[in-house]
Amino acid sequence: MAAISSKEDSQPVHTRLSDTLRGWLKIRELNIFSVLLLVGILISIFSPYFLTTNNLMGVFRSFSLIAIMSIGMMLVIITGGIDLSVGSVMGLSSLVTALAFQHGAGPVTAVFAGLFVGLAVGCFNGFLVTWIQLPPFIATLGTLSIGRGLMYMITKGVPVTPDVPDSFTFIGQGYLGLVPFPVVIMIFMTICFSVLMRQTRFGRHVYATGGNEMAARLSGVRTFRVKFIVYALSGLIASIAGIVSFSRFVSAEPASGFGAELDVIAAAAIGGASLSGGAGSVEGAIIGAALAGIIANGVVLLNIDTYAQQAITGCVILIAVSIDIWRVRRKGR
Amino acid sequence: MDMTFRTVMSVGVATAALCLSVSAQAKDAKDISVAVIPKVAVPFFDDCNKGAQQAADKTGVKYQWVVPQNTQGSTQVKIIEDLISKHVDGIAISVNEPKSVESVMKRAEQSGIKVLTFDSDSPKSGRSMYIGTNNESAGETMAETMGKALGGSGDVAIVTGQLGAVNLNERIAGIKKGLAKYPGIKIVETQGTDDDLARGVSVVETTLRAHPQLKGIFGVSQVGGPAVSKVLNTKEFGAMKGKLEVLAFDDLPDTLKALKDGSIQGIMVQRPVTMGSLAVNNLVAQIQGTGEAPKDIDTGVTVVTKDNLGSYTK
Repeated sequence: MAAISSKEDSQPVHTRLSDTLRGWLKIRELNIFSVLLLVGILISIFSPYFLTTNNLMGVFRSFSLIAIMSIGMMLVIITGGIDLSVGSVMGLSSLVTALAFQHGAGPVTAVFAGLFVGLAVGCFNGFLVTWIQLPPFIATLGTLSIGRGLMYMITKGVPVTPDVPDSFTFIGQGYLGLVPFPVVIMIFMTICFSVLMRQTRFGRHVYATGGNEMAARLSGVRTFRVKFIVYALSGLIASIAGIVSFSRFVSAEPASGFGAELDVIAAAAIGGASLSGGAGSVEGAIIGAALAGIIANGVVLLNIDTYAQQAITGCVILIAVSIDIWRVRRKGR
Repeated sequence: MDMTFRTVMSVGVATAALCLSVSAQAKDAKDISVAVIPKVAVPFFDDCNKGAQQAADKTGVKYQWVVPQNTQGSTQVKIIEDLISKHVDGIAISVNEPKSVESVMKRAEQSGIKVLTFDSDSPKSGRSMYIGTNNESAGETMAETMGKALGGSGDVAIVTGQLGAVNLNERIAGIKKGLAKYPGIKIVETQGTDDDLARGVSVVETTLRAHPQLKGIFGVSQVGGPAVSKVLNTKEFGAMKGKLEVLAFDDLPDTLKALKDGSIQGIMVQRPVTMGSLAVNNLVAQIQGTGEAPKDIDTGVTVVTKDNLGSYTK
């Protein structure tokens, strides 16, 4: 990213169309996006079913949950932290939403209950990181374990499957035209957060906090407040994913979301996140989630041994990020 | 690597040709593709794969074995969706979580794919039939064996796998039903282990310490046999070997070894190879429109003891 002079800080940002278009060709996400296109083309050569509308919409819908959570994760990683609790939060908010329905709540109440859980855990994480000054890895590892434990204690190992109204199942199973609703949510959130990160002051504060926290604080950025907000957002976003997931499967399993945090971190890593902070973008995270998603789809379409799926995903991740790093080094950007 | 590409290319070309051709009423065996989805990667399902592969080779249909990476319902939903996109003709699945796959299985049936369940059912999913062990009667058989061995009285414990698993809970219900005939037998503990061996060992140890007068153990899932055998071969509990009546499920190598050395007295062996081959054969029959109306098949269990150890089939 280009250095930002202090004069621009106080003015709203205007960009002209030609500048935008020229800028697009130089953007870093193009590296990862080309890998995505390459893998997609490879799969479609070997399977005529890959490029069908049904299949593509299905694939988008499957990776939309990881993609949504990776938005929050990307924000946290940019500040130099990490949030290991997202899988747990997703499962816990699924469960709370299910329990709300089981106790006779309406869809709106149930959704708010789920969102509240995510926000609460996110704020708790923020509190641990900014007030108690715990390293983010430890803090969110703790909340991950607490969340998992709570889920098993509450469900006693048995999935919760209440009756839910159609208005609620629309969230996870409905379509707007040809597009599944979870994909609509994913696109909407990507646009919102992309604008937030690129065009607002808060976005720049997030990058500044991650790039060099001391320098940012001395320049007047309220870094503790920024960090608290990103953890709260990450929790809230994970609960959105949990609610969409429950709406799709209508079953809150005790192990729901287990291991999801690794997939989310992988998506963010492909999206250009540096675990020391200051780099990465929301769009990159979405592309990262898409890459993992189409590999999973390709494995079944091409009848590749499913045991090989994780190994293949790992290799593709390494190749994708290596290409990205190599191009960045070459261009000296 | 070369073979895989060539196979994949030929499958790709064949399926492309299939797309272009008009769908026929009675399909030729080599144009039929079936997919079988187990719960997760454990040895029990390797036997199912063996049976299914044999049946597929014999009938000449294209066969695909798709193993989920974990036991979450969403993983199997994703796999079924991908198979629908691929336009397979038949799907046989052992269901992890019955509710979450209902809507996607209905969608598969609506698009003309024949769907059946094996080993673990989703009763409300509109599947044509269920092939598997009637778990309740298997549990009753276990209870009967235990009742006779204990002479009708004593304390027993139940060690199960996932607490929420429908098939395991049906077995436990069958055990309780069967034990009604033996009012002198009391179930003092029911513990879950998620089919994790380490957890199983610790659960069995704790149970034995808490109930030193225990007379029998029901191992309702596949972890029971190996767990009990590990515990009874330690110094602390070695003396109880042979004094406890232990009944296990599924003939894992460790369980068979325990049967031979006397830690376990009986194993309920399911018939996974039969399940696999019946699944494929029934799918092909439904796809080609031959055979009678589909109805559930109980593949039953064999009670294996030291006597018939070398002679049972699956």
